[in-house]
Amino acid sequence: MLLEVRNLHVAYGDAPALWEAALDIGAGQIVSVVGPNGAGKSTLINAIAGILRPTHGEIRIDGAEIARIPGYRVCDHGIAIVPEGRRLFTHMTVLENLELGSYRGAARAVRDEGIEEVFSLFPILRERQNQISGSMSGGQQQMVAIGRALMARPRVLLMDEPSLGLSPAVVEDMFKIIRMINERGVAVLLVEQNINKALEIAHHAYVIEQGRIVTSGQPSTLLSNPRIREAYLGI
Amino acid sequence: MSFTLLTQSAVGGLLLGGIYGLLALGLSLSWGLLRLVNLSHFALAFLGAYLIYHLGTNYGVPAWLSALIILPAFFLVGLALHALFVHFKVSEFASMLVTFGLTILIESLIQWIWSADFLKYETSYAQESLRIGPLYVPILELLTLVAAAVLAAAAWFGLNRTTLGKALRAAAHDGPIAAAFGINAKRLSYVLAGLCAASAGVAGLFIALTSTLAPSQIESWIGVVFAVVIIGGLANPVGALAAGMLIGVSEALTMAVVNPAWAPLVAFSILIILLLWRPKWL
Repeated sequence: MLLEVRNLHVAYGDAPALWEAALDIGAGQIVSVVGPNGAGKSTLINAIAGILRPTHGEIRIDGAEIARIPGYRVCDHGIAIVPEGRRLFTHMTVLENLELGSYRGAARAVRDEGIEEVFSLFPILRERQNQISGSMSGGQQQMVAIGRALMARPRVLLMDEPSLGLSPAVVEDMFKIIRMINERGVAVLLVEQNINKALEIAHHAYVIEQGRIVTSGQPSTLLSNPRIREAYLGI
Repeated sequence: MSFTLLTQSAVGGLLLGGIYGLLALGLSLSWGLLRLVNLSHFALAFLGAYLIYHLGTNYGVPAWLSALIILPAFFLVGLALHALFVHFKVSEFASMLVTFGLTILIESLIQWIWSADFLKYETSYAQESLRIGPLYVPILELLTLVAAAVLAAAAWFGLNRTTLGKALRAAAHDGPIAAAFGINAKRLSYVLAGLCAASAGVAGLFIALTSTLAPSQIESWIGVVFAVVIIGGLANPVGALAAGMLIGVSEALTMAVVNPAWAPLVAFSILIILLLWRPKWL
């Protein structure tokens, strides 16, 4: 397994938000985590990214334990995040955001190639490279956020609600991009409320409810589960 | 009121802006990027000025040599102080209270060692000035402005053109996300805190060379420089210097045209007007 999460507990202060989470991502896989608002999806993804510190449990990438290392060193293990709401460095240019994505060691050494790759994936960003990122449209900001994460040369790309706040056409493009990134060999952990889309694209999926992973399996199996159909798809 | 007198006042104000800018730089960066309002910055600058006065007057150490010792020492003081802030997780507001206390402490220390009397560091070059047409430009004040400009330019370059500077700005903007991309904000913040304290040492050097020293002077600078920091924009080194010169010139012209007693009113009047008006360039 490329990424293994075992018995992960996360709390905000005294308030627990995630219990006993376990999750596997194989090399080159797209894994989706679906569930309602406030179920703990972002908590899970932020804990893997090193933004939240777990109170208990293990996160291993290629066997290396990363749950206890300083947050700023998690990205050295090939983990990068496209956070919910994008969270760009909005007062900086597109190019500066991309540069900061490759702040650490190995990624910095191949920064120029990385920027070329991001520009070939999102040609509009080449034209807009000197624009202040905060002044761009939502879809373009999402491109910058994905580009910034790719600059870190991730083995696992964590994507937290990438379709949130985007128009349907742009959402369609976003999922195409996710597939393209995955075809380049990057594993993707996708957290989404857009369950149809998230299950359609995934190799494997987890359902999370009230801080616990309640079921997992092949997307087709989950889609045929009557309880899930009723709870999430309204059919 | 002659034109020459007015111009001379304006030049004096512009030069005074140099020391405002020097003092504002460290405060602005610390406030804007570390979210620490370090009032003790002023006390530290005066402590530096007193040390330079002391070494020069009693042991004949030239000011530049004293500064060479004081700057690295102040860098370390900045690190130590920041370690306290980090250890006790001092918030933006609390930092103001804590450093106000520290200011009183340093002020008392200064008063205890050097008394509350006015002191002046006498040097052979203190009265040197350039003459440009009908105008006199005192050399030391001019050097102060040059130093302020050099430091502001260096800080601007560091923050906007180097990876470390961009990382610092990113960490100030969104710490958790910056960390997720490998930025060790804590280490960078120590470097910045040290540099800010060292910049207080530079301000101290020029305060010693150009001003009369008294412990009570510390507080008289706080108000004006605060206004300068806000007008210049937090974490904007060039803005801080420009605002310093704006306030300096306005004060000097008020003194010359209206009444010297009105000068302290100027900085805050300008601040209030700009805050109400909020021009786009601010």
